[in-house]
Amino acid sequence: MDLTIRIAGEAGQGVQTTGALLVSTLARMGLHVFATQSYLSRIRGGLNWYDVRVADAPLFSGREAADVLVALAPEALDVLRPHLAPGGAVIFDGECGDGCIGIPMTQVAKEIGGSAVMANAVAAGAVFALLGYDLAALADYLGVQFKKKGREVIDKNVACAREGARRAADHAGRIAAPKPTGTAVAMSSGTEAVGLGAATAGVKFVASYPMTPSTGVFTFLAGAADAYGIVVEQAEDEIAAINMVCGAAYAGVPAMTTTSGGGFALMVEGVSLAGMLELPAVILLSQRPGPATGLPTRTAQQDLLFAVHAGHGEVARAVFAPGTPEQAYHLARRALETAHRFQTPVILLIDQFLADLQMATPPLDATLRPIDRHIVTEPPADYVRYAVTEGGVSPRALPGGPAPVVVDSDEHTEDGHITEDLEVRVRLQDKRLAKLGPMTAEALAPERYGPPDAPVLLVCWGSTYGPCREAVDRLAARGTKAAMLHFAQVWPLDAAAARRAMGLEGDGAARPERIIVVEGNATGQLAALLRQVGVPHDAELLLQYDGLPFTGEAIAERILG
Amino acid sequence: MINPPSDNRPAWCPGCGNVAILKALDRAIEAAGVDRAKLVLVSGIGQAAKTPHYTRANVFNGLHGRALPAATGIKLANHDLEVVVTSGDGDMYGEGGNHFLHTLRRNIGLKMFVHNNQVYGLTKGQASPTSDLGFVTKIQTHGVLARPVQPLALAVVEDCSLVMRSFSGAAEHLVAMMVEALKHTGGTVLLDILQPCISFNRVNTFKWYKDRVRPVPEDHDPYDRARALELALAWGDEIPIGVIYRSKRPSFESQLGVLAKGTLVSQFAAT
Repeated sequence: MDLTIRIAGEAGQGVQTTGALLVSTLARMGLHVFATQSYLSRIRGGLNWYDVRVADAPLFSGREAADVLVALAPEALDVLRPHLAPGGAVIFDGECGDGCIGIPMTQVAKEIGGSAVMANAVAAGAVFALLGYDLAALADYLGVQFKKKGREVIDKNVACAREGARRAADHAGRIAAPKPTGTAVAMSSGTEAVGLGAATAGVKFVASYPMTPSTGVFTFLAGAADAYGIVVEQAEDEIAAINMVCGAAYAGVPAMTTTSGGGFALMVEGVSLAGMLELPAVILLSQRPGPATGLPTRTAQQDLLFAVHAGHGEVARAVFAPGTPEQAYHLARRALETAHRFQTPVILLIDQFLADLQMATPPLDATLRPIDRHIVTEPPADYVRYAVTEGGVSPRALPGGPAPVVVDSDEHTEDGHITEDLEVRVRLQDKRLAKLGPMTAEALAPERYGPPDAPVLLVCWGSTYGPCREAVDRLAARGTKAAMLHFAQVWPLDAAAARRAMGLEGDGAARPERIIVVEGNATGQLAALLRQVGVPHDAELLLQYDGLPFTGEAIAERILG
Repeated sequence: MINPPSDNRPAWCPGCGNVAILKALDRAIEAAGVDRAKLVLVSGIGQAAKTPHYTRANVFNGLHGRALPAATGIKLANHDLEVVVTSGDGDMYGEGGNHFLHTLRRNIGLKMFVHNNQVYGLTKGQASPTSDLGFVTKIQTHGVLARPVQPLALAVVEDCSLVMRSFSGAAEHLVAMMVEALKHTGGTVLLDILQPCISFNRVNTFKWYKDRVRPVPEDHDPYDRARALELALAWGDEIPIGVIYRSKRPSFESQLGVLAKGTLVSQFAAT
């Protein structure tokens, strides 16, 4: 069983602190929690909401309707009350009419706690009463959260929570809620996971320009900088950021930048540079809806083809698209490893949904375990940077050592110097692109979820993993056998492996009756990319590009028609 | 360092100011005792930006306008390297103008040697950001209308660690300025080097510069910012060359706690 609590209000009203308080407390009680945020690009004003879905089994997606709506502003009532599940409850910060629980949360917080900020504790207390949960668990967590602020702050918060529960006492236990196990469930957001993955892999230099929804990762890395020994620089623009990363990579440290679509557009010449100079540059591209400024704080999967093709000329690169925080943690490391192994740019493609979501995640190892840079420490006397080798990867030495390291964005000879020799040009371009062979051979196979003989196959990439996975379960419960195939690496693609995984050839998976590509864009970019690389298919497209994330139930409903 | 470039013939016109600047650079590297193994020459795109290919050093010849952010990344990754940016006025003050401004703000230990010939050579004769008002080209057919950028004044205003100007036709002076720059440890150095373009700038010729350059007055105190700004803006019958300005501001990298334990690259290698 599961239920969704939706906290909504204007930016600055404490939507996030209330949501975060519930997430932390409920996970600590041993419940499975899946939280998503939807917010507008304003510091104050504008309707934001925070969904906390709670269950006694693992969750991979949010839901459309809420069972409990905590409305901190009248607009939240107007906009979100129509999306209340049957039998759901509304708690409003103030007086409200029939079928609504009016609790003046801000006023209560001021009277009891002495500060409007504690309205979030009042709200959490009321929610706990409504769900019939023991308030002791909430009081216990408030003690942990405010430990540094001292006994008085803890006591005031707990008193606020108790008053919230008291005011909702008439409705106690009204909403059936899953039973806590008592064993805490570890949680992570996509942002924390990808940041920790990069920090523990030994990233040493980060240069970025802030851009929603990538800023959280930039902020995480700045916070981790002292502990992990990272230089974090806010560049004057994204062009500077990617060129700084190229410089740092050349000098020998794992380096990355973080951005979103518009910023990545500015970086594209630098992607081409990293390809030409054969530098390990990692770019975290956190997608939001475009074109242009688009919907800055919402989600999209619109930059797949852009990432795969970005850069003038023809540039080898890898593109990873994690589906969960756990995958984001591991793929951040793999992105850095791949970049160093093959001396290429690597793009890590996430989006606002994955960046901001929080879900149960196995504890992530925070110890520093640096990647191998594949450096030649004692280059021979006749060392040249771009020696032509089978597989295209040349021994990489660093400047400051015994041999000079010469790199040039012009076409160059094996020693790195500018050339107009057209035979050399062809040889060097062949060498650079030769990496795609071994990179393809090592590409991550798509992950399948569901029975091998499923007649319905959902194909997806990136953050759509969770909603598709839940859709498979929902379809099964409704008697439709379905499976999911998720691509966590979208470039290079192994076409033969994809054909087999999709049941189009070979004796692996059965050939499905329906293939449905599920993507957060308007044109079906993965579907197009699969055709481009040699996976002919007649898939249906199940697309969403309104700026909100997919949910498992919406996907299932659309498939069942 | 035994790797000579594969083709050591500069792709410059005979008599180009870049040739003199290259010679001065080689002399200055020796005179300042710079270890070429630790020297990285960084450039963008343009005729001047080819300079690193014609001497012995580590080379990062990047994108047009982007020498400074690349150099910044190199210096922060390994501050034991001597990072010298040697590129032209279009690359550094035009396409890379934003980076120029923010590099001055940071005050990282980069040495900028800007070959300033007031014209675009590689693309054959368009105006550069330092072209004088009224300068006629095939694009600016009625003459340049935009005021020339004032790189030295910008550097003084942004409290650049060391601000200098020289002239490709004053070899001894140029070498001395380059040595001063290479020995400087306090942060960013701007050395603006006036240079004729014999093919595309028929106004600011070798003689035009030769007749106008004057050493800064002997009694000039480079820590006097107001006077330095006057000298930085001086342009006309007399153009001052020499040390214009000095600042006592600490370098960016000296203030980074993470770098107190050594260079980033050595810290990574130690893990």
